[in-house]
Amino acid sequence: MKATMMSMLWMALLAPSVHAAEYSRPMADANPDVIRLLAKEGDPAKGKETYGLCRGCHRADASGKAEAGYPQLAGQHATVIMKQMLDVRSGRRDSPRMHPFISDEVVPEEAIAHIAAYLRSLPVPDTNGKGNGRMLALGRQLYQRDCAGCHGKYGEGDGDKFYPRVAGQHEAYLLRESRESRDQGRRNANPGMVRILKGYTDEDLEAVSDYMSRLVPPVP
Amino acid sequence: MAPRVWKARIAATLLTLGMGYTAMVTGDAAQAVEVLVERSCSGCHGMDGNSATAEFPNLAGQQASYLLREMQDYKEGRRQNEAMAPIMSALSTQDMQQLAAYFARQTPVPGTVNKPGLLALGQRIYLEGNDRSGVPSCEGCHEENGEGSKKFPRLAGQHVPYTLDQIAQYASGQRNNGIRVMRTIAQRLTPEEAEAVAEYMASLK
Ligand code: HEC
Ligand code: HEC
Ligand code: HEC
Ligand code: HEC
Repeated sequence: MKATMMSMLWMALLAPSVHAAEYSRPMADANPDVIRLLAKEGDPAKGKETYGLCRGCHRADASGKAEAGYPQLAGQHATVIMKQMLDVRSGRRDSPRMHPFISDEVVPEEAIAHIAAYLRSLPVPDTNGKGNGRMLALGRQLYQRDCAGCHGKYGEGDGDKFYPRVAGQHEAYLLRESRESRDQGRRNANPGMVRILKGYTDEDLEAVSDYMSRLVPPVP
Repeated sequence: MAPRVWKARIAATLLTLGMGYTAMVTGDAAQAVEVLVERSCSGCHGMDGNSATAEFPNLAGQQASYLLREMQDYKEGRRQNEAMAPIMSALSTQDMQQLAAYFARQTPVPGTVNKPGLLALGQRIYLEGNDRSGVPSCEGCHEENGEGSKKFPRLAGQHVPYTLDQIAQYASGQRNNGIRVMRTIAQRLTPEEAEAVAEYMASLK
């Protein structure tokens, strides 16, 4: 019974099915309600095994690689992981380096929620790449005024609303994604966020990215 | 590859297969599998799965799950090779299971490094990948020491010419069984990186 429910949910989530050839074609949003429901079914033990496919870039502890632009995934919200994977699979977000490794030929649909649960359960390493530390006052001011409303006072994000955790992420990755979002290279960026970022100079982006990379949410 | 070497060996192997393996399985299973290996595999892969010719892969110590899957893929045409296909088509699933278990428990001999000057680059690719072209580290899937796991094959000590032939087959799409990740990786490796990482794999024990 549960298995049938799961597969029906997956059908709702993924229909219409997308083939590799259509990779670059943008498609409708993956259904947020379905992702929220499926995220609760994820089994970290099963996800750990499938995560083996990702270790070659995101590393065994999911700390990523600052200089390569491979984001840290440890401790990220499960819903965020799932949405980003689905967006890349369906072509709503470009990731030419990663796409062949997370396509539906390689990662079965059912495994997505499990991988997400596993990554969510990992401790966030504090060895992430940080900026030069010279504009942290500006960074704090901008972040607390413009970004904290969605990404949280401590950068903790909000899984239910698909707002990524930004605390402890590599500064180089945060900077690139903010810039790409502002310049509309990241096609799945949040429109409200893009409106704000449009008013940002490159320097503002550097300041706020450095600040975010140093945030540490209090332990609940 | 050297097709002439194969053709002679395939002919010899098929002759012995024709002698009727089914008669033997009634005897002691362990002994039967050894007889089968001796008649059908040892000419190319060695009695203990350490092959004498660098074009034929070492099977000793390879993951049993991988050995079994590859044998089935040859038999059913998902992995294509004119030497292996006729030999596999004469075997039952049970034969293959026993052969996989047999070769998995053999002890691998250390591999041969031909160009030690390439080992430093090979190690970097194996442990770190290439960030710019998006080659993940090999260690991520095949483990740091190259022993593999239930899901990924062992690479340690493999012959360099065999490895390079497989990388070329992945890159061209000639080998397309299994999951598709190796195809992407092979396409992203430069020829120099491929040679270097093959040498490094051979150096792993
Ligand atoms: C070849 C390297 C590579 C492999 C292998 C890889 N990734 Fe990625 N991943 C990236 C890169 C690079 C990005 C950043 C997006 C971009 O610029 O392409 C990324 C981004 C992500 C993101 C988005 C993170 C965020 O904060 O938005 C998720 C989630 C993710 N990867 C999950 C996975 C999973 C799960 C696997 C394994 C099934 C995997 N990746 C395998 C390179 C890789
Ligand atoms: C209206 C809510 C909202 C506001 C305000 C907002 N963001 Fe975002 N942000 C999002 C959402 C939603 C995403 C994920 C988008 C997606 O699904 O791809 C995101 C993603 C990001 C990412 C990429 C994170 C990753 O893991 O890939 C960065 C970096 C980022 N935001 C920076 C900022 C900065 C800097 C500000 C303030 C200047 C800001 N955001 C304000 C909603 C918001
Ligand atoms: C005529 C020589 C020959 C004989 C005899 C032979 N093989 Fe092979 N075998 C090969 C060659 C050549 C390859 C690599 C082919 C390719 O490129 O796919 C191979 C590949 C394999 C592989 C895949 C190895 C890997 O690492 O992917 C397995 C498993 C295998 N052989 C098992 C056997 C078994 C078991 C027997 C006996 C029943 C046998 N072979 C007999 C030549 C032979
Ligand atoms: C994402 C996981 C993954 C990564 C990373 C990876 N491999 Fe593989 N590799 C596999 C799988 C799975 C197979 C088994 C065959 C298949 O399914 O295609 C394989 C098979 C192979 C084979 C064939 C083995 C044989 O006996 O025939 C070689 C050679 C190989 N890999 C080399 C490499 C090298 C070199 C790297 C690093 C540059 C690498 N692999 C990185 C997953 C991976």
